Amino acid sequence: MAEMVRKSSVDEIVNHWILAGSCFLLMITGYAFLFHIDAISNVFGGYNSMKNVHNWGGVVFIISLLYSIRHYLIDALHYDADDVQWFKVAGGYLSHKVTVPPMGKYNPGQKLYYLAILGAGIAIALSGLAIWLLKDNAALLLISHLVHNVSFSIFVIAVPVHIYLGTFANPGTFQLMVSGTLSLESAKKRYPKWMKAAGKM
Amino acid sequence: MTNHWIDLKNSDVILAMGGNPASNHPISMKWIMRAREKGAKLICVDPRFSQTAAKADLYAPLRSGTDIAFLGGMIRYILENDLYFKDYLVNYSNAAFLVNPDFKGPADLDGLFSGYNPDTKKYDKASWAFQKDENGIALKDVSLQDPNCVFQLLKKQYARYTPEKVVNITGTPMDKLMEVYKLYSSTGKPNRVGTECYAMGWTQHTIGTQNIRAMTIIQMLLGNMGMPGGGINALRGESNVQGSTDYGILFHILPGYNPVPNAALVDLATYNEKNTPTTKEPGSVNWWSNRPKYVASYLKAVYGTAATKENDFGYSWMPKLDVGMNASWLMIFDKMYKGEFDGFFAWGQNPACSGANSNKTREAMTKLKWLVNVNLFDNETASFWRGPGMNPKDIQTEVFMLPCCSSMEKEGSITNSGRWGQWRYKAIEPQGGSLPDAEIINELFFKVKELYQKEGGAFPDPIVNLSWEYGERDASGKIKHIDTHAIAKEINGYYLEDVYDTKVDPPELIGKKGDLVPSFAFLQADGSTSSGNWLYCNSYVLKDGKPVNMMARRGKEDPTGLGLYSGWSWAWPVNRRIIYNRASVDLQGKPWDPNRALIAWNPTKPAPKGKTGGWDGDVPDGGAPPMASSGKLPFIMKADGIASVFGPGLAEGPFPEHYEALECPVEKNSMSGQRINPTIKIFGDKMDAFASCDMRFPFVGTTYRVSEHWQTGCMTRHCSWLLEMQPQNFVEMSTELAKELKLENGETVVVSSARGKVKAVALVSERFKPFKIADSTVHQVGLPWHFGWQFPEDGSGYDSANLLTPNVGDANTMIPESKAFMVNVQKA
Amino acid sequence: MANETTNNRKALLVTPEACIGCRACQVACKSWNQLPGIKTTNQGTYQNPPDLASAALNIIRYSEVPSQENPVRWLFVSRRCMHCEDAGCMTVCPSGALYRTPEGAVAYDRDKCIGCKLCVTACPFDVPRYDADGKVTKCHLCVDRIGAAMQPACVKTCPTGALKFGDRNDLISTAKKDGFTTIYGEKDLSGLGTIYAFKDEPQLYGMKQNPSIPSSVVFWHTYLKPLSLFGLGGVVAAAAIHYLAIGPHKEKEEEKEV
Repeated sequence: MAEMVRKSSVDEIVNHWILAGSCFLLMITGYAFLFHIDAISNVFGGYNSMKNVHNWGGVVFIISLLYSIRHYLIDALHYDADDVQWFKVAGGYLSHKVTVPPMGKYNPGQKLYYLAILGAGIAIALSGLAIWLLKDNAALLLISHLVHNVSFSIFVIAVPVHIYLGTFANPGTFQLMVSGTLSLESAKKRYPKWMKAAGKM
Repeated sequence: MTNHWIDLKNSDVILAMGGNPASNHPISMKWIMRAREKGAKLICVDPRFSQTAAKADLYAPLRSGTDIAFLGGMIRYILENDLYFKDYLVNYSNAAFLVNPDFKGPADLDGLFSGYNPDTKKYDKASWAFQKDENGIALKDVSLQDPNCVFQLLKKQYARYTPEKVVNITGTPMDKLMEVYKLYSSTGKPNRVGTECYAMGWTQHTIGTQNIRAMTIIQMLLGNMGMPGGGINALRGESNVQGSTDYGILFHILPGYNPVPNAALVDLATYNEKNTPTTKEPGSVNWWSNRPKYVASYLKAVYGTAATKENDFGYSWMPKLDVGMNASWLMIFDKMYKGEFDGFFAWGQNPACSGANSNKTREAMTKLKWLVNVNLFDNETASFWRGPGMNPKDIQTEVFMLPCCSSMEKEGSITNSGRWGQWRYKAIEPQGGSLPDAEIINELFFKVKELYQKEGGAFPDPIVNLSWEYGERDASGKIKHIDTHAIAKEINGYYLEDVYDTKVDPPELIGKKGDLVPSFAFLQADGSTSSGNWLYCNSYVLKDGKPVNMMARRGKEDPTGLGLYSGWSWAWPVNRRIIYNRASVDLQGKPWDPNRALIAWNPTKPAPKGKTGGWDGDVPDGGAPPMASSGKLPFIMKADGIASVFGPGLAEGPFPEHYEALECPVEKNSMSGQRINPTIKIFGDKMDAFASCDMRFPFVGTTYRVSEHWQTGCMTRHCSWLLEMQPQNFVEMSTELAKELKLENGETVVVSSARGKVKAVALVSERFKPFKIADSTVHQVGLPWHFGWQFPEDGSGYDSANLLTPNVGDANTMIPESKAFMVNVQKA
Repeated sequence: MANETTNNRKALLVTPEACIGCRACQVACKSWNQLPGIKTTNQGTYQNPPDLASAALNIIRYSEVPSQENPVRWLFVSRRCMHCEDAGCMTVCPSGALYRTPEGAVAYDRDKCIGCKLCVTACPFDVPRYDADGKVTKCHLCVDRIGAAMQPACVKTCPTGALKFGDRNDLISTAKKDGFTTIYGEKDLSGLGTIYAFKDEPQLYGMKQNPSIPSSVVFWHTYLKPLSLFGLGGVVAAAAIHYLAIGPHKEKEEEKEV
C-alpha cells in the first residue's frame, strides 16, 4: 500500500462539514426568507421556527467559522512569488496548457477564498446578530440588513464555486474532506513546496 | 330640544353657545356639518377655542357668565336695525301686549324691576301683569308703538346694551361681536332660519334660566321658533336626561310636568284650581286646561283600583312639599350637612364628585346613619368614608352597595334630546350579581310593603295602595320579574271603563275598557282612564287589536325631506317632531318658507265625517284650521297661545338682565348698580364660602366635559380605552397666564377656590386667551369634572373639579353655578 | 412594485376639515380589534396615546397652528397606516407576513410574523409597532370587516364623515368635486391607500412631504435580491460551461483544489 499523507486533520474535517452544513442550512432558509418560499418554511414548521433554525444555525456557523481560523488563517496570510505567477496563469483553470508554478499546502486562490469567506462570514454574522438582537435600533437594523444581504450575495456566488472546484473541477479533491489523506505521490505532485517543507521531498 | 338632532341640518345659521357640541354631542355635529355642506354657517361663542370653535365659521370668545350681556346686545342690534320678523312677532308673541303702566325695568331702577323686596329677596310681580279689557283679554297695540307695549319695553331695556358696554363686560373683541350679531340676525327673514344649541354652559349659572330666556326672545324676534332648522335646542348631557325630566326626576314636578302638590293644596280640586291656567284669549288652545285629566289619569296609574272618586284618586297619598319649599339638590345636601337626614339612596349617581362644592357633599354624607349606593361600580360616594381628609374611625355611616346592571343588560326606552322615546333591547345578561334597577325597586317595594303591612307605621297608605301590575306573581303575591312592556303600557295608559263621548246624542263609544288609550286627547278627569305620563300617551297603542310599541318602530321614510323620520321610534307629544310647528306657517297656513314646508294647510285633504281640510307634514300642534279662518294660536302650551317675549313667570324679572356671577372678577356690574342676581339664595355656613374680587382667587374658573368621559367618570374611568385618552384631570389656560405663573405645559398644578383645591395637569395653549374687561386683563381657566380619587386606584387621575365649584344656584331652578367661579392656580 | 389591485382598489379617505376630534375612531378600533387600554399620562395635550402603539392602531393628532382670524387653528388629523401601493414594509418582510388584501389594504398574518422589525425600518411613516408577543401590529383597515363588505370600524363610527371608505378613484374624484385642492397620497409611493383631502398645504397638517422608502431598501430590493438569485444561477452555469469547455484538471498535472 502506498504511503499516505494527511492533509486535513480530523477536527478540520469535522469543522469543515459543520461549517458547510450550517452554511447550507442558512442559505436555504435565507432564500426562503428572501423570496417567501412557503415550501421551504413549511419544512421547518413555518417562518417562526425557521427563524429559530436560521438564528441558531447562524450561531453554529459563527463558532465553526471562528474555529476554522486555526486551520487556515496563518497560511492564508502568507504569499510568495509563485503565488503571483499563479495568478498570472489563472491557476491553470482557463487552459490546461499553461505552466502552473509549484504550490505549497494551499494555492493563493484558496487563501484568498478563505479570507473572503472569513470576511463575508464575519460580516454576515455580525449583521445577523444585530438583526436578531439589536432590532430596536432602526438605523442599525437598516445597515445590518444591507450588510447581511451583500454578504449573502457573496456567499451564494462563492460557495457554489468552492463546491465545483472541490468536486468536478478537481477530481480527487473531495476525498481530502472525507478521509483527509492523499497518497504521497499525489501530494508531491500537487503540493511540492509543502512536501519539501515537510521533508518528504 | 324644541326640534331634534337631525333637524340641525335644515338650519342656515347655527349658534353654539353655552355648549361644546363637537366634544360633548358629536352626533349633533354630523347634522351641523351637513348644514354647513349646504352653505350654513356655524357660530361658536365660548370662553375657550373649543373643538366646536375649531369647526366654526365664526368664533367669538366671551368671559364665562356674561351671556346675557352678549345676547342683550344682539336684541338691541336686531331692534335698532329693524331686523326682526314683524308678522311673526306680532301674531305669535306677546310683543304687542300692553303691560301695567306701573311696571319699571332695570333702565329705570338701576338693574332691578319694580316690586323688589330686599328683605325676602323676592319680587312682588303685581306690576308685571298685562293690561286687560273688561272681558279679561289682554290689551294690544299691533303697531308696537305704545310705550307700555312689550316691544317698547324690550327696546328700552336693551337700549343700554350698546356694543361698547357689551365688550367691556364680555371681553369679546368688537369686530367679532358685530360679526356674530350680523350673521345671526340674518335669520330674521322668512326664508332664513337660525338655531341655537346650548348645554350646561348656559344653565349652570345663577342666571341660567335667564340666559335661555334671552335666546328665546331673539328667536321670537327673528321668527325662528317652530321652524325646521330653528328652535332652542338643549343638547342634553346624558342619553336619557330628557326622559328622566319627563318622568319627574326633579323635586317639583310629577311625570308629565305637572307640579308636585304642596301642603296648602289640600285636595285634588284645590290642586287643579291652583295649577290649571285659564285664559280669555279667543284663539288660545291653552292646553294646560287639560291638566285635571292628566293628574287624575296619573293617580289612577299610580294607585289603580285603590284610587276612587271618593278618595280623590289617592291625591292625599301623594308626597307634598311644604309651601314655598325648595327640595332641590343643593338644599338636600345642605339639610344632610345639617344632620337632617338619616339615610340616603344614591341611585345611579356620584354626588361626591358631581355635586357643586363636593367637600360639603362629602362632609354631609358623614352625618348619615346609612347610605345605599346603587351603581355599576364602587365610587367616590360609596367610599366617601375612606376618601381624602376622612378618618373612617370617626364616621358612623353604614354603606350598602347594590350593584345594578348597565343599559346594555336590560330592555326599555330612553328619551333622547329630540324627545324621541327609543326602545332598546337587552344585548347581554346582567353581569355578576347585578340586577336591572327595576328589579331592585321591585325587591325593595315588596320588602317595604311587607313591613308596612306587618308593622303599620306612620302612614302606610301610599305604599300599600300602590298599583304594581308589572308581571307574573309568585305564591306570596310578589312580582317575580318586572315586565318592562307592562310599565310602558301603564305609562301610555288604559281605558279603565267604557268611555263615551257624551257631547253627541246618543253618546258614542270612544274607548273600550281594558284597551290602551290612543292619545292624551282621550284622557279623562273622572278616573275612567289611566296614564303614567300623559306626554307619552300614544307611545304604546292598539293597531288592529294588537298592542304596538311605537317606540320600537324603525321606519326610514322621510316624505318631507326635512329628516323628520316620523316612522322611526316615537316622539312626544303624539309623535310631533318639531314642537310649536304651527308657528312655521303664516295666518293662511302657508309655510313662511316654502322650501322648508314643515306643515301646510291643505284645504282639499279629506277629513273625518266627510269634511275636507287638513295639515300636511309633521303632526301639527292641534288640527285646527289656519289662524285666518278661526284657527288656533300656535303656542298651545302657553295660556295666551303666544310666546312670551315678556315672561313674568321667572324669579328675577320678565326680561333677562345682566348680573355677574356670585364669584366674579369685577367690583362693579357695568350695566347697573346690581352686581349679582338679586333673587338667589346664598347659604351661610363656613363650608359655603365664596370669594368675589378676592386677590387670593384672581382667575375665572369654569368646568366642562370631554368626549371621552361621562359625568363623574364613574363608568368611563373604568373603561381603560377611554382612560387612555383622557387619563388625568387637567386645567386649560392661556400661554399668557402660564408665563405669568411660570408654568410649563404638562406640569402638575393645584387649582384652588374658596371651597377646595384639586390637582390638575396644566394644559397651556393659545386656545384660551386673556379677556380685556374694561381696563383690566382677566384670565380664565377651565377644568373637566370627570375625575375622582377612588379610581384609577393609584390616584393618578386626581380628584373632582367640583371641589372648587360654588353651591349657589339659579334663582328659578337652583342648578349650581359650576360654569363661572373664581380660582387660583399654583405650582404643585 | 405596483400591483394588480390598482384599478378596483379601495381606500380610506381622511378629511381633517370634517373631523371634530371626538376620537370615536380610536375607541372603535380598540373595540373591534380587542386591544388593551394603555396606561398613559396627560402630557399637556389632548393627544393620547402620544403616538401609535401596539394597542393604538390609529390616533388623532391634535395640532395648533397660527391663524389670522382666530386665536389659533386647531387641527385634528387621523394618523395610521397609509396602506402604500409601494409598501416598504411588505417589500422587506422576510416571512410574507405583511400582505396585500384583495381590496388593496396592507394587512398582516400574525402567525407568519417572525418579529424581525424590518418593516419598521422600511416604513416611510413610522407606522408598524410590535406587541408584547413581538408580533407586528398596525392598522389593517379591518381586513376582517372589509373582506365581508363592511366598513372599517373607525369609518363606521365616525359621526361626521371625516373618515370614509370606498372605491379609491371615486373617493378622490368626489373630494376634488367638493373643492379639496390637494389629495395627499394620490400619487405618493404609487398611490397611498390612506388618502387625505386638504384645502391647505398638507405640511400644515403635519403630513410628510415626498414620503419615500429608505434608499437602502430600494437598493436591496432592486439589485441585491436579483443578484442573490442570478449570482447563484450564474455560478452554476459558469461551472457547467467550464466543465464542458475546459474540463477538470487531468491526472499527471498538478492538481488543485479549492
